[in-house]
Amino acid sequence: MNKISQNNIIQNIQKYTPIILLFISVLNEFDFNNLGLIYFSFNFSYILIFYYSLKKSESLGYVYIFIAGLFNDVIVGTPIGISSLMYLILCGAAAYLRNITLRPSLIKDSIFFLITILIINSLLFMSLNFVFNYELNYFDQIINITYTFLLYFLFANLFNFLERNILGNRHAG
Amino acid sequence: METSRDDFVIALRSAFLKKGTQQRFSLLSLIFFSIIFLILGSFNFKIISYVKIGINEIVYRSSFIVSVPENLLKGSYLTIQNHKELYKENKKNITELNYLRGKDLSQNINKLENIKYKKLIDDYFIGENETVAKVLIDKQSPFLRSIIINKGSKNNIKLGMVVLDEGYLIGKIVEVNFFTSRVLLISDINSKIPVSLQPGDIQAIMSGKDKQEGVLQYVRGKNLPEINEEIQVLTSGAGGLFKSGIPIGEIDVDEGLEIDEDKVVNFHRDFSQLKYVKVVSFSKEKNILDLSSKNNSETLNEEIKEKNQQQETLRILIEQKKIADEIRVKIQKENNFLRNERIRLKKESKFLTNESVRLKNEILITKKNNKKNKIEDDEIEFLKKNLYHGHKCRKNFINNLYKVGTLEYRKCVLKKDLKK
Repeated sequence: MNKISQNNIIQNIQKYTPIILLFISVLNEFDFNNLGLIYFSFNFSYILIFYYSLKKSESLGYVYIFIAGLFNDVIVGTPIGISSLMYLILCGAAAYLRNITLRPSLIKDSIFFLITILIINSLLFMSLNFVFNYELNYFDQIINITYTFLLYFLFANLFNFLERNILGNRHAG
Repeated sequence: METSRDDFVIALRSAFLKKGTQQRFSLLSLIFFSIIFLILGSFNFKIISYVKIGINEIVYRSSFIVSVPENLLKGSYLTIQNHKELYKENKKNITELNYLRGKDLSQNINKLENIKYKKLIDDYFIGENETVAKVLIDKQSPFLRSIIINKGSKNNIKLGMVVLDEGYLIGKIVEVNFFTSRVLLISDINSKIPVSLQPGDIQAIMSGKDKQEGVLQYVRGKNLPEINEEIQVLTSGAGGLFKSGIPIGEIDVDEGLEIDEDKVVNFHRDFSQLKYVKVVSFSKEKNILDLSSKNNSETLNEEIKEKNQQQETLRILIEQKKIADEIRVKIQKENNFLRNERIRLKKESKFLTNESVRLKNEILITKKNNKKNKIEDDEIEFLKKNLYHGHKCRKNFINNLYKVGTLEYRKCVLKKDLKK
């Protein structure tokens, strides 16, 4: 009985690891978007959501992503609902890629990811700048997109490793 | 074309409309939700505000919990940094402390020596009667700057006693009542105090000028010493009015070195802020040769002796080090010189060896030449003699002498005298 409950706990941890990671990245004071470095920032949530929506769609529920977006908006101070919208569009793009892909490869995924974050950030920039009158630095956005794209390779491999060796999912990647 | 368009639509529909396992809402519906949130939020809709407030409450609490490990790391990092800083500071403090200890020792020696010399010239005063008094307001004073204190003859206050504020001279008692006394401040124009300017040891009389200033009088043709520090003004003790060495103020040297009416003394204390003062009378130390004073003097002497010994040892050690350094430098120089000399001599010996070989060769050549010349000379002599006397030695049919070319013929020719 004890063993069964222990197994359940481990399974739950394995199941909810991506969600926990997503909420930690959203709620943490240590913001990757604002490390204090001038030429370095990246969006960890985008990488996490895209990767898990693409590779393991059942581990990140859309409702959780929606809530994480709302939390992010409250923390960052952007109009409530905008981050959720962007996250969900990212999920949609990842789901579309999953549907049309027969032979997955990291390069193709990353190129699709780049196109998606370019569209998402353009949408975000336009809506914040023109609709909500927020001042955004165009150069910072470009830096953020570039590093998010470049770090996707690193984190995709890292998540693969995590899924295969630590969480014990043999079909990951 | 048709098929690919169909594929695109199917994939899109599947992505946005299909609910996954355990998904309660489709992606599209949630996107709609977000857009509705956005629109309502932009219109400041009440429900959205409540949602926002609710989320805020949750976020701020959970954010704190989530950030605990990170804050812990940050805190540890800061603690380590602090320790590192402390370590550095400690090292610096230790060095400074050692330096200050040395300085303190030297100061103590100076102090003790000072006391000793002052005793020698019978100028060592000790505080005899100390009374702390409160400053009362002065209103009906014939002086410009004076104060009333709440101690009088009842408390053994006497005329001419010195008034100090934290060790700095501020005035003297000029009037004593039973319960109160009047203090004439040194900033008053009537106050004339014999002062000494240090360094430079210039003697002058200081008079009050302004609330916080005094002027020097009766100093002619004297200039302040050229130092970058401020000149300290102390009581000189002349006239026996005050004990010597009580600090009064300082002179700013930036305004020139000449002492004139414009040269002001800035007092150390602010006379408008006096609240409690100390009234002191000084008296010479009684030289009663009782056992305790004798012991004290002996202890003092021993202490001075010990300190002097320490200083002397230190001085000797420094001198020894200096001499050792000098010797080392000298030896090093000598060593260098000898090394150079050795190299030079080596070169010279090499040159001389070459020269001797060359000379030997030359001698040999000369010797050979000489030999050759001698043979040639002999031959010339023989030929000459042969020319004159050859017929006398030559064999012919008349005589039976020597055949030409033989050794006997040569000997015969050579035996002949050339003059003949």
